[in-house]
Amino acid sequence: MSSADTNLMIRSLAREAGMKPGGSVVSFHTALLLGAVLSFASAVMLVFAAFGIPDPATIMGNAAFHHKISSMLAVACGGVFLVRYAGRPGARGLALLTVLPGLALLIAGAISDTSGFPFLGRSEIAVPSCVAAIVALSLLPLVITIFVLKRGVTTRPAVAGATAGVLAGALGAAAYSLVCKNNGGLFVAVWYPTAVLIVVGLGAIIGRRALVW
Amino acid sequence: MDPREELWAAAMRAERRGDAAAYEGLLADIAKTLRALIRGRLARFGMNVDETEDILQEVLIGLHTVRHSWDASRPFLPWLHAIVRYKLSDAVRRRRREARYRYDLTLEEWSYVPAATPEDPDLGLVDLNRHLAELSTGQREVVRALALEGASVRETAQKLKTSEGAVRVTLHRALQRLASIAHLAASRRSKEKT
Repeated sequence: MSSADTNLMIRSLAREAGMKPGGSVVSFHTALLLGAVLSFASAVMLVFAAFGIPDPATIMGNAAFHHKISSMLAVACGGVFLVRYAGRPGARGLALLTVLPGLALLIAGAISDTSGFPFLGRSEIAVPSCVAAIVALSLLPLVITIFVLKRGVTTRPAVAGATAGVLAGALGAAAYSLVCKNNGGLFVAVWYPTAVLIVVGLGAIIGRRALVW
Repeated sequence: MDPREELWAAAMRAERRGDAAAYEGLLADIAKTLRALIRGRLARFGMNVDETEDILQEVLIGLHTVRHSWDASRPFLPWLHAIVRYKLSDAVRRRRREARYRYDLTLEEWSYVPAATPEDPDLGLVDLNRHLAELSTGQREVVRALALEGASVRETAQKLKTSEGAVRVTLHRALQRLASIAHLAASRRSKEKT
């Protein structure tokens, strides 16, 4: 293989100048927003199917629920920016700061927690069941988000998969908060993020293989 | 700021208007820069420098495939860096993996590994003495003095009370004899194997 071959190849590539990208009807950004909405909807449906539809009046009157779902949706919003950052080559890392508001809400919830709920939950299986439920609810969102990322251009496959995990995990946790009975601020601040981190790890492992091109 | 930013970003915009010449110039420019970079890295990592053009072409094709993902309102060089970085590490990683498979010893190959010849130094000495025994007394003394004890030709001649010329001739004959013995032994070994 010589540099003359390369020059020939460059010439043939140059002939494609001005051609529109084929096949992509929906842009990466649109796909990302649609994917996030679809992910959340799928997780909520799954929660209703698995745990039954909760009484709206009860959960709306519960301050702990508001804290849980708002902090997790805030993390998910940051996750959207993270995924957008991972799918655009050369984007600046400022997007990494967008998960901070959600984390701040979680920490504030833990510090201001006066409910006296135990850190390990109300029953012995509270921690494993809560973490497992969030991870399970996040799997479909994770797959959707990885597919969304394939519309973008990922130059760090594992990192990109991890950002998909942040978004999917946070959406799964937000959906789970509709039926979660453990209302301690500290419980939420420790075990919800633990579940999200597991999804982040899964995302990194999947991304390493699925997001190469 | 890097002057290439303006230049290359302008060429990328020209590509979108269908300007093949500008795009070809851009790819050629990038190729020139990358060629030196790739060659240097391959050499530094002890990899085959002949793969430079291969890898360069992989990077250029990758660049070409995703060129639409560059947002014309954003700087070009960071975008280019991210793509090149990814494609380069991908190419190197793949070659490393292939090299590992190439050098891997399979069970099949392992079962065909011939039995090792004894490498024990003492056994080597025994061999040596056995071969020396095949020489005449005069030849043996010359070889022992020159090759094993490391004496000079003059010292050997004085010790054996002969001329330096005679020592050289004797050594030459002794070496021929040893060579033919070694050759015989080798052909006998290979016959035994078949």
